[in-house]
Amino acid sequence: MTISPDSQAILLLCSHIGLLSNSEYSSLTLKEWNPLAKKLQSISMRPGDLLGLTSEEIQSQLGINLEEAERYYHLLQRSGSLAIELERLASLGILVLTRADQEYPTRYRQRLKESAPAVLFYAGEKALLGQPGIAVVGSRHLDEAGKACAEFVGNSCGLSGLVLYSGGAKGVDTISMNAALTSRGTAVGILADSLEKTIRNPENRAAIGRGDLCLVTPYSPGAPFSVGTAMGRNKLIYTLADYAIIVASDAEKGGTWAGATEALRAKWIPIFVLDHPNMPEGNKLLIQKGALPFPHPFPEHHLKLKIWLEEQSATIKPDPRQLSLF
Amino acid sequence: MDRGYTLGLLQKMIGEDKDFRPGQWEAIEAVAIKKQRALVVQRTGWGKSLVYFLATKLLREQGSGPTVLISPLLSLMRNQIEMAGRIGIRAFTINSANKEEWANIEEALGKDECDLMLISPERLNNEHFLKEVLPQISGRIGLFVVDEAHCISDWGHDFRPDYRRIVRIVQMLPKGVPVLGTTATANDRVVKDVQAQLGPELTVHRGPLARESLRLQNIRLSNQSERLAWLAVNLPKFKGSGIIYCLTVADTERVTGWLKQKGFAAEAYHAGDDGNMDRPALERAFLNNEIKILVATVALGMGFDKPDIDFVIHFQRPGSVVAYYQQVGRAGRAVEKSYGVLLSGDEDDEIQNYFIESAFPSTRVFLDILQELEKNEGLSLYEILARVNTSKSMAEKALKILEVDGAVGQTFDKKVLYFRTPNPWVPETDRINRVLDLRRSELAQMQAYVAHPDCLMKFLLEALDDPNPVPCGRCANCLGKGFSASVPHELVIEAENYLKGAQVIIQPRKQWPVGLFPDQKRIIPLELQNSPGRSLCYYGDAGWGKIVQTGKYREGHFPDELVYAASHLILDLWKPEPFPAWVTSIPSTRHPNLVSDFSTRLAKSLGIPFHPVFRRTSEAPEQKTMQNSTMQARNVVGTISIDPQLPSGAVLLVDDIIDSGWTLTMAGYLLKVNGSGPVYPFTLAQATGRNTNG
Repeated sequence: MTISPDSQAILLLCSHIGLLSNSEYSSLTLKEWNPLAKKLQSISMRPGDLLGLTSEEIQSQLGINLEEAERYYHLLQRSGSLAIELERLASLGILVLTRADQEYPTRYRQRLKESAPAVLFYAGEKALLGQPGIAVVGSRHLDEAGKACAEFVGNSCGLSGLVLYSGGAKGVDTISMNAALTSRGTAVGILADSLEKTIRNPENRAAIGRGDLCLVTPYSPGAPFSVGTAMGRNKLIYTLADYAIIVASDAEKGGTWAGATEALRAKWIPIFVLDHPNMPEGNKLLIQKGALPFPHPFPEHHLKLKIWLEEQSATIKPDPRQLSLF
Repeated sequence: MDRGYTLGLLQKMIGEDKDFRPGQWEAIEAVAIKKQRALVVQRTGWGKSLVYFLATKLLREQGSGPTVLISPLLSLMRNQIEMAGRIGIRAFTINSANKEEWANIEEALGKDECDLMLISPERLNNEHFLKEVLPQISGRIGLFVVDEAHCISDWGHDFRPDYRRIVRIVQMLPKGVPVLGTTATANDRVVKDVQAQLGPELTVHRGPLARESLRLQNIRLSNQSERLAWLAVNLPKFKGSGIIYCLTVADTERVTGWLKQKGFAAEAYHAGDDGNMDRPALERAFLNNEIKILVATVALGMGFDKPDIDFVIHFQRPGSVVAYYQQVGRAGRAVEKSYGVLLSGDEDDEIQNYFIESAFPSTRVFLDILQELEKNEGLSLYEILARVNTSKSMAEKALKILEVDGAVGQTFDKKVLYFRTPNPWVPETDRINRVLDLRRSELAQMQAYVAHPDCLMKFLLEALDDPNPVPCGRCANCLGKGFSASVPHELVIEAENYLKGAQVIIQPRKQWPVGLFPDQKRIIPLELQNSPGRSLCYYGDAGWGKIVQTGKYREGHFPDELVYAASHLILDLWKPEPFPAWVTSIPSTRHPNLVSDFSTRLAKSLGIPFHPVFRRTSEAPEQKTMQNSTMQARNVVGTISIDPQLPSGAVLLVDDIIDSGWTLTMAGYLLKVNGSGPVYPFTLAQATGRNTNG
């Protein structure tokens, strides 16, 4: 495995690898990284050019205050432990992508622009990230209709060559993902936590080995679950897919609701919500807010799913926007 | 920050009158001033550690982060941490043996009060180290030192899978971090390979290997008894202290026992005692000349540095020129005259071939382990052994290689669990065969060396690609004289008797193996355990071992001399109390009379009756084909049954060879459950897993 100087610098500045939680210098948030990236671009520097500079050099070349320069300098000093940790992760099957990498998912760049995560950790076939596909989202606790729908969408994706996108968590995510994989399809799980642990699951591991699954996360591969990261992760599911189907959502609370309303506001992609007589309150409210109803049971042949979604959402056209910032 | 300044530091460290050895300053300059990647090939004792201590000092004064020194040898670390203190370099080591110091070390790192961190290659894959210790350095690695750098190459004489990980890390280190590889022995092929792997910009600093004071001699003495006798005759001729190298743990114990019996201050040194041996204490006693002779396996590491060693004697022939030169090179660092005598004997090839054969697990073992791991989220070593028929050490070797290959990972959840990673894995048969071929050619080179008629030093230097090999004029071949190979006959007989009189103790098993009786406690109740027993010898070894071997597999009969030896051992040396009232034996359908016939004669000689109370209900595969405890114990369960009408009193339970001990444990358990007195196991021989332990 090799890693470009640009990626190395971005990892050193923006990831927690090799950084103690109580360290004097914290890694850069996206809000801090973006202006720095712009500044580098404006003076024709690459992130990798920062490696090996003294704090004084950083200060003068970027025209920033010494305190800020000191912080970058100290973060960039971690290259030794970064090398060791990246080697360990690679030996576990976990690799990295940064915004400076060509293979970084174009859909994130286009749809999320500056909120595209600077660093992604992944295991499995990275070419799947951003292939045509459908996202399935919903709470962990499902009714029968929800289960049936998750399974139906997973199956249809698998059989029609679409990638099934999900959060890789228990419940709706696992059901739809397994359905896609058992029908010889492909899936992408965008995890909010514990990538290291998730790939130890024998089914996940086998699917990754076959090249049918990619698990990806913007958080440290060993990070435990936290509500905050789960929230931040939601948009990463929507923005990789062509369509999203929300199977079940609570009303006005919970991660599914927050993610769905965010996606409806942002208009990245058409959003569908499972529509059936006993649907949860949240589903109804989301339809009122502009989500398209997704009937249960599905009225057409399962191979028609994509065409149906396309037809139903013909009126909504998300506009692609170009952006290239590392 | 120049040569003069650094020389001042050096003198502060080792003495006002000292100067750089040729090459030392150049190596320091390469890493500490030019920030290059350098490989230093210099003989042991040249002062490689001075190079990285002084380089560390210079780099720290420039504001660099601490040095990280990776070395596989703990004995090296102990020596060097003390030495580093002399120039105010604060060096620490983190290893599994000093857990209680970790908190202090981490604190020192946090305050930037650590200049040099010594770790083993294994540490680089340790989660605690990566998450808690390394970040304290804040990744500010000032200098990355790889000791024993020849291990990077498959062509090196020392195969350590962990070094592949080191190579990958070095390849990912940014250009500005200087890297220093050090080794005492690397031929041209190894140097080229290391260069290919660490990058073409690696500069090589190579010095001459010859040791001016060393007088080499080779002596062939077929039998161990002759070599023991030779030692007893010749050791008093050496004034100072020395090392006797043996190939196996059992041999170090045997030689030590003999030397003690002959009044020498000798101690055994090896890693085969489950870590119970206090090796640091032995090293200190040897350094202080309280022990005159250390009888060691290769566990006496490469970095062990005692300047006044007068002699290094090999009781058996090492497997390669490199290994031999490193070991013999411990002699004569700071003495005018020193001796390196290589004794070789009949068993050398057998042992070396065994080492080669058992160097790698078979492809089947790798694949079986992966298959079991693929079915599960994580398995402990014992859970793997309950599923895969291989020995513990082979399983550990396979797991280590699989880990470095990225096919298996480790996690900790109350115990260490191994899991399969998603990375693909294919057996590296070619690579393994290449290494095995290399081992065989190294062995052939050593065979040529012991028969070499001309200058011995020149032979070694040529084999090691020394830039300037010339005849030494000091070895026994150059001089045409040396120690006499002949030994007095009486002494050989005495050594022979010593070898035959050694008692081998059978420790009773206290627990059933993991997974054997899943619904029972593993502890065997004390009242149902065997008492400690005895074996007459180690199977196939000098002494009785060969006779047992011939009896079992060639003659199908154990000769009377074994009966007498056994009853002598039991009556005169062992004397179990209460003395057994009767004898029984482990039945076999494969050799129905072999053991029962021997046991009958033994009972007669002991003057007590023989009662065959066991029957085989079905024939199990030979126990030696079972490779680990769980498999072995499972193989015994249900294949023997007992006649519940037992004679009263203590019983001597006889078998020919004890391997895992499960057959005797199970038989003893059945005897006890059916009301017998104490059970004393006795076997003719104990099988030897050739144990060298690194």
